[in-house]
Amino acid sequence: MDGSPLDCSGTVTAERNASVILKIERLGGIAGFGGPNLKSEGEYALADLSAADQERVEALFAGRTKSRSRPPADGFRYRITRSSNGAVQSVEVPEDLVPQPLIASVKDSLR
Amino acid sequence: MTCQCQIIPDDVLKRLARDKTIPDAERKALLDTAAVGAEIRKLRDQAASLSRLTMAMALDPVSVPPAPAITVNDCHHGQVLPGTPIAKPDSSSDKSVKGAFNETKAVADFYQSIFGRNSIDGQGMTLGSSVHYGRNYNNAFWNGSRMAYGDGDGNLFVDFTGSTDVIAHELTHGVTQYSLQLDYADEAGGLNESLSDCFGSMFRQWRAKQDVHAADWLIGKEIMGPGARAKGFICLRDMADPGAKHCLAPQPATYGKIKPGMDPHYSSGVPNLAFCNIAKSIGGNSWEVAGRIWYQAMTAFKPSPHMRMRTFANRTRSLAKKMFAADRSVFMAVNDGWKSVGL
Repeated sequence: MDGSPLDCSGTVTAERNASVILKIERLGGIAGFGGPNLKSEGEYALADLSAADQERVEALFAGRTKSRSRPPADGFRYRITRSSNGAVQSVEVPEDLVPQPLIASVKDSLR
Repeated sequence: MTCQCQIIPDDVLKRLARDKTIPDAERKALLDTAAVGAEIRKLRDQAASLSRLTMAMALDPVSVPPAPAITVNDCHHGQVLPGTPIAKPDSSSDKSVKGAFNETKAVADFYQSIFGRNSIDGQGMTLGSSVHYGRNYNNAFWNGSRMAYGDGDGNLFVDFTGSTDVIAHELTHGVTQYSLQLDYADEAGGLNESLSDCFGSMFRQWRAKQDVHAADWLIGKEIMGPGARAKGFICLRDMADPGAKHCLAPQPATYGKIKPGMDPHYSSGVPNLAFCNIAKSIGGNSWEVAGRIWYQAMTAFKPSPHMRMRTFANRTRSLAKKMFAADRSVFMAVNDGWKSVGL
């Protein structure tokens, strides 16, 4: 990813997003997801998100999105990693900023 | 914040609204969202400004209720807070609704009768809970103004209102918010989580009329689902043995093992064990001596968002000396308890 996700019309470049896979990890919560015994992971193709949700994801990676208030105590956080053409980039954000399809993609399990 | 909204920057909303490839109805909704968001920000800024002003002037509210009102809402498996209000939660046939109401009321009674605190803010603030949050949602949280409880997925976890210590844990995050105002990262985050575990466990013991030796010191025992139990996990955390194999989230037991950036639910194991050791050494009921020291350390000082664990430990040492001047064994127990975890 080159850090300039929008073209001049403001739409996400579809062909660039076609090959991008998002890896999603749920972290924290009162049970401490992401620790030695408990994991929650999923994957989602960026191109399968709606245009608005693709914009949300781009905004997260660009650091343009901020939560309306401090994250809830015991609230979940999500680490979203995108891989494209060998480049890997991650962000970690509270649940209220994550598009619903990405939240729904993770599955809780024991390690 | 009363809803878990997904926030998009205004510039993105407006740019999308200009995109003619997006249907008209969606573009209008995007513009509406930008407009509402701007107004909400104005309201929030005004509320914050008013709070700062009244706190600076130390104004008392016009009328303080003698005990907090308790309300319960039903999210119907959605993730929008607060959900539908329940008219009579105390007589509901829904176990989660009734449980959230009864235990929240009991936590309010606990704070009032043991520590003389009127609700989480000390001013009779209404205690709101939202149950059936999300679908198969494996969590409970305090969002800054109310508690939310998931039902669990039925395998790893079951109904999060099922553990009394979990309910007191979430409410204590509210007490911390209105007292020490600890951050939720680094050592302050670990202290924040530990205070919720300590008061959660004390409440569970108080509810069960258990002294420090009868108590099991487990956190989240009743929310563990059959899949987790089948693997030998009987609790989230064990305050008496933070690294035990029966913990779903085993924690470090000594200060030297805390790593920078560690999740607060793990670093809290150190002050948790210190509290447990201190309470056991003193004996009797945890809330009568150790609990009172912890409560003073949390509520009788100015906010310390970035507090270090050593600072908190030293504060409890000073309080033990001052509050129990006639009984030096209390100070010795506190001092030894912290030393046992490297603080």
